[in-house]
Amino acid sequence: MSTSAETLALPARRLPGDLAMWFFILAELTVFAILILTFAVMQRLDPRLFAESRAALDSSIGLALTLSLLTSGLLAALAVEAVRRQRQGRAALLLLAGLGSACLYVVLKLEEYGHLAGLGLDIEHNTFFTLYWILTGFHFLHVLLGMVILAWLAERCRRRAYDAGQHGGLESGVLYWHMVDLVWVVLFPLVYVLN
Amino acid sequence: MSASKLLIGCWLGLAALSTLTVLLGGSGSGLLLGAAILAAALGKAWLITEGFMELRHAPRLWRLLLLGWPLLLAGGVLALLPQLA
Repeated sequence: MSTSAETLALPARRLPGDLAMWFFILAELTVFAILILTFAVMQRLDPRLFAESRAALDSSIGLALTLSLLTSGLLAALAVEAVRRQRQGRAALLLLAGLGSACLYVVLKLEEYGHLAGLGLDIEHNTFFTLYWILTGFHFLHVLLGMVILAWLAERCRRRAYDAGQHGGLESGVLYWHMVDLVWVVLFPLVYVLN
Repeated sequence: MSASKLLIGCWLGLAALSTLTVLLGGSGSGLLLGAAILAAALGKAWLITEGFMELRHAPRLWRLLLLGWPLLLAGGVLALLPQLA
C-alpha cells in the first residue's frame, strides 16, 4: 500500500493523460483561436455595434457561468487526486458533483439563450450576435460532450476501473474538461466584458 | 502543500480573477483597462494549464504550447482593440 506522500509525488517531466488527447486538445484550441480572432477582427471593424450589442449581455450571468465551469473543473481535478489515493468512491462523488456544477452552467446558458432569442437578438440580428451564437454555441456543444465524459468517468470510478497506478483514461477525460474551462476563460472577457 | 490544497488555491485564484474581470469591465473602457482584463484572462489560463492540467510536471514544449495559446490570443485581441485604431 502506498502512502499519501508517495501517491502525491508525480514523476518529473510527466505529461498527464494520453498523448493523443493532447493533440486533440491542440486541434480544438486552434479552431477556437480562429473563431476568437475572427470576433476580435470584426469588433475592430465595427466597434460601436459591438459595444452596443454587448450591453444586452449581463456580465454577472457571465461571471456565474464562469464560476460554475471553474468549480466543475476543480471537482474533476480533485477526483483525479482521489483516485491517486485509491479513493475511487470519493472520486465518483466528486465527478458527480462536478457534473452538477456543469448542469448549473447549462441551465444558466439556456436561460440566457432564451432571453436573447425572446428579445429578437438571434443569430441573424447583427454581426455581433452572429459571432456570439456561433462562438458560445460551439463552446456549449463542447460542454455537453464534456458532461457525457464526466458521467462516464464517474461510472468507471464507481466500478473501480481506475487505480493509483492506472488511471490514464481518467486523466485524459478530465483534461478535455479543463480544455473547455481554458477556452471559456479567454472567451468570457472578449464576449461579455471588453469594451 | 498537498495536491488538493494546491488545486483549491488555484480555484480561489481563478474565482478572484474572474470577479476582478467583471469589476474592471464595469468601471469603464480604455486601452489600459482592456489590457488589465486580458492580463487577468492570461493569469486564469496559466492557473488552469499549470494547476488543473498539471502541466507544471510536463515537458517544456507542452507547457510552452499550452501557455502560448492564451498568450497569442490575448496579444491578438489587444492589438485588435478599437482603441488602437
